[in-house]
Amino acid sequence: MTDTARAVSIEGMNKYYGAFHALKNINLAVDPGEKVVVCGPSGSGKSTMIRCINRLEEHNSGLIEVLGTPLNDDVGNIDEIRREVGMVFQHFNLFPHMTVLENCVLAPMLVRKTPRAQAEAAAMRYLEKVRIPEQAQKYPGQLSGGQQQRVAIARSLCMEPKIMLFDEPTSALDPEMISEVLDVMVSLASDGMTMICVTHEMGFARRVADRVIFMDRGEIVETADPETFFSAPKNERTRQFLSQVMGH
Amino acid sequence: MSDVTEAAFPRFPAPPGRLETIRKRYFRSPVQALISILGLGFLGWILWNVLDWAVFSAVFDAQATAETCRAAGGACWTVIAQRWRIILFGLYPFDQQWRSALACVVVVAMVVLSCVPTFWRPARLASVWVIGTGLFYVLMKGGVLGLPYIGEEKWGGLALTLFIFVATCLIGFPLSILLALLRRSELPVISKGVGLLIDAVRSLPLLSILFAFAVVVPFMLPSWLQTGKLYRVICGTALFFAAYQAEIIRGGMQGVATGQDEAAKSLGIGYWHRISRIILPQAMRNALPATINQFVISFKETSLVIAVGFFEILASGNAAYGTGEWTFAYREVYAFIALIYFVFVFSLSRYGAFLERRMAVGEL
Repeated sequence: MTDTARAVSIEGMNKYYGAFHALKNINLAVDPGEKVVVCGPSGSGKSTMIRCINRLEEHNSGLIEVLGTPLNDDVGNIDEIRREVGMVFQHFNLFPHMTVLENCVLAPMLVRKTPRAQAEAAAMRYLEKVRIPEQAQKYPGQLSGGQQQRVAIARSLCMEPKIMLFDEPTSALDPEMISEVLDVMVSLASDGMTMICVTHEMGFARRVADRVIFMDRGEIVETADPETFFSAPKNERTRQFLSQVMGH
Repeated sequence: MSDVTEAAFPRFPAPPGRLETIRKRYFRSPVQALISILGLGFLGWILWNVLDWAVFSAVFDAQATAETCRAAGGACWTVIAQRWRIILFGLYPFDQQWRSALACVVVVAMVVLSCVPTFWRPARLASVWVIGTGLFYVLMKGGVLGLPYIGEEKWGGLALTLFIFVATCLIGFPLSILLALLRRSELPVISKGVGLLIDAVRSLPLLSILFAFAVVVPFMLPSWLQTGKLYRVICGTALFFAAYQAEIIRGGMQGVATGQDEAAKSLGIGYWHRISRIILPQAMRNALPATINQFVISFKETSLVIAVGFFEILASGNAAYGTGEWTFAYREVYAFIALIYFVFVFSLSRYGAFLERRMAVGEL
């Protein structure tokens, strides 16, 4: 519990899959309230990197601290970090055997020991925030992709996290549903949430990000504020990538 | 105006009548008609013979003698009327058999309650089982409340079959979940060891496991544990059940997307809650048809305990016709036992179908 000033701090992190060097000497510091967008070609390690932050992937060397808690083999630390860090996945990963409301109250009741009535009230508040309170009694399978992803965001928020990780939250959505999810993320950003988003939505990055990070082949290649990143990228690989995603 | 609409949108053709459907399906060509008629005739012949034996030429008089029965030529249901208590209760003392009957009711009630979704809370299930088992024991074994003591060696018939089945499931099912979880352990010593155990049990015939637990295991136990052959045999059937069911549950778990566990982890939910609230409910849904199958098989396999000297319902049935005058009436006894098996197993299958319908809701 030393450096409480940083939300996330990663120093010299490496990650291997067998002989494959998936993440190479990653250094990243995110301040509370900061919004960081991570982009890069597929297979560049961006998902792996944010999955290391809540220990869905284990890093092999280097230091990770989240809200001042070092992320190591100490299970107590891992639990503490996971309680404070929410995550939204590409494929929503809602629990299909529970209603939307049950999805939302499960973790607060089990982990935070919140009484049911209180947890349900909070859940309804967050479902209203993602503009979907009328679906509370439905099962995930009865909702559209965009609705499911908004529920997934609400479910994460119910744990009152200090940091939110987004792992390509709109990549599995039909085009007409992308904006409803991005709108929710924008409003979350304006509330001051600390966010790290892996996404290809460059419009969102331009609008919301304090910083854009470009990754390729397991390395952070370029870090810049959105204005500089999109208008004057320094690295050749960044330019190439941008011309591909912005070209149409 | 309406004429125009009629012309533009001709009515959907009326569905064909029942006779027309039959003609189309079974009498489309002369050969098809011939096959249909022959098949129908054959079915009719079987049905007639069964009905003739079971009803028309049968003797229903409970007081009829064996001679009357044999003269009638059909089924002799008299044997059931005179021997049903042996079939249902085996060697249980005659004047105490109401206790065995009540114990059967207790077991059935316990199973039915466990099957009702309202009772699917650990505390409720546990109380149903503790109260049910306690009542069963007091009734069957006695020795308290003025009920004469009746040892396990005298238990028999339906009560014994139900007791072995329910005990096998109550021990075997939690054990199977434990084995399935251990088999997925990240520690190779544990996962390989449990895998070996499961494969070893599955490579042995149930009969040899029963003999091992009934006859061989006592040599390895201290003398104070050498009583209670029934409980050792139940341990054997439970282990056998668990080995198969563990693989069924493991298969069900493999069908649950890894994202489910990851989402639960990211919410800070701990291992046991992830298993009990997220993984197992979905795994059980995947594994349901195979699980019902396993329960059905286990129910019928209880009849194997006959080989280690227990008078479950099939053995009691043998005893019912095996004495003196009724030896010719074995068909009737087996038909009666088959009916009992059918009632239980069919209910189990229907319950499985109900669960599948119910679980499908969350997956729409």
